[in-house]
Amino acid sequence: MKLAELIAADNSLLSILQRLNIRLGFGEATVEDICTRYNISTGLFLEICNIYSFRHYQPHIEALTESDVASITTYLRTSHKFYSEVCFPAIHNSIHSLVKELDDVNRRLIDKFYDDYDNEVTNHFKYEEEVVFPYIEAMQAGGDIDDEAYHISKFEDNHSNISEKLNDLKNIIIKYLPEEHSSALRFNLLNDIYAVESDLRKHSLIENKLLIPLVGIMEKKNGEDK
Amino acid sequence: MEKTNKYRILLIEPSEIVSAGMQAIIARHPEFTIVQTLTNPGYYNAQNSDIDIIIINPAVVDYNERFNIRSYFGKENVTIVALTQESYEESVLRQYNGCIGIYDSAQRIAQKLKSAVEEATQTPKSDINELSTRERDILTAVAKGRTNKEIADEFNISIYTVISHRRNISQKLGINSIPGLTVYAIMNKLVDMTDFN
Repeated sequence: MKLAELIAADNSLLSILQRLNIRLGFGEATVEDICTRYNISTGLFLEICNIYSFRHYQPHIEALTESDVASITTYLRTSHKFYSEVCFPAIHNSIHSLVKELDDVNRRLIDKFYDDYDNEVTNHFKYEEEVVFPYIEAMQAGGDIDDEAYHISKFEDNHSNISEKLNDLKNIIIKYLPEEHSSALRFNLLNDIYAVESDLRKHSLIENKLLIPLVGIMEKKNGEDK
Repeated sequence: MEKTNKYRILLIEPSEIVSAGMQAIIARHPEFTIVQTLTNPGYYNAQNSDIDIIIINPAVVDYNERFNIRSYFGKENVTIVALTQESYEESVLRQYNGCIGIYDSAQRIAQKLKSAVEEATQTPKSDINELSTRERDILTAVAKGRTNKEIADEFNISIYTVISHRRNISQKLGINSIPGLTVYAIMNKLVDMTDFN
């Protein structure tokens, strides 16, 4: 199938191209051509596409190998960048304009709730980028891994409830902020929150159903080698 | 209801055979009594009735009123039970407190009437998402930063009860995190912002 046809069939896949650093202008190239050119396995590419296109898709690693791990971490890193440079700043700006309309108590409340949330997200991404991904990359490079330092099973423990608070924020805006302040701004903000929420859900599917199981297999092999 | 200890029933059914059959069955159950039968709800007069249960064939309800049968009868606290000879959309039947099928046994009919009365006398559906007084108290404590253990001790209930209250609170509000619940509690003046400064 041509990549252009795939995008025509589901334009939400555009953001995947962006995050895999696939440049536009690919002409009649097929999915396979592009995957070869960018050194991504078609198995992985299609898993990610399926996650984005089908709401209830359950990803699995059968079509993947350990060599896909590097592409996955690259994908997750650019995905973080997209969240922290595009999505969250937009939400932050809207929140900032929204609270200007509120009375003092509500303004401080929402501001504080969002700032705390923002910090939590930043820390979460930072942790993945500074601890988890380097650990995986070191293991892949065949470097000496200190067994005690980290283990991928810890990953999920640290996977704090980013989406839970986003969901709370959504309901507070929909149900509990005083009605008189309802405006286009609020509707746009909600749309932005819904969009990032759904994207984050897919992001964690990639982490939990693809990355963690693959790294688990690598760890097991490493253990056996010793 | 208390004075006779019998539930007073109005039966609205166009078929004389079905109506007579229903009256015969209900006569066997001492806790119910049919005080009036009609063939069409148009003859119903809200003023002079002292009715606990209305049993009505949904086929005689004006099509445009099928989703507002309660306001149609102008009585808030009456139990309304459908008596059906055919199947209806679930959204239509949800308007009723219960549904009796024409093939139900006499015993089953009595059971269904009783549970319909129970359902109707519980909190009205529209209020189901409001927090109860106990839930508000617990939410206040959560917002103040109390742990489940502390809340259990304060209210003299088990930790499991606290957890179950918290689950219900979160379900009703759509808010799960403690910071989110705190925002709700302050917005609704359950706690004061100064409690946190």
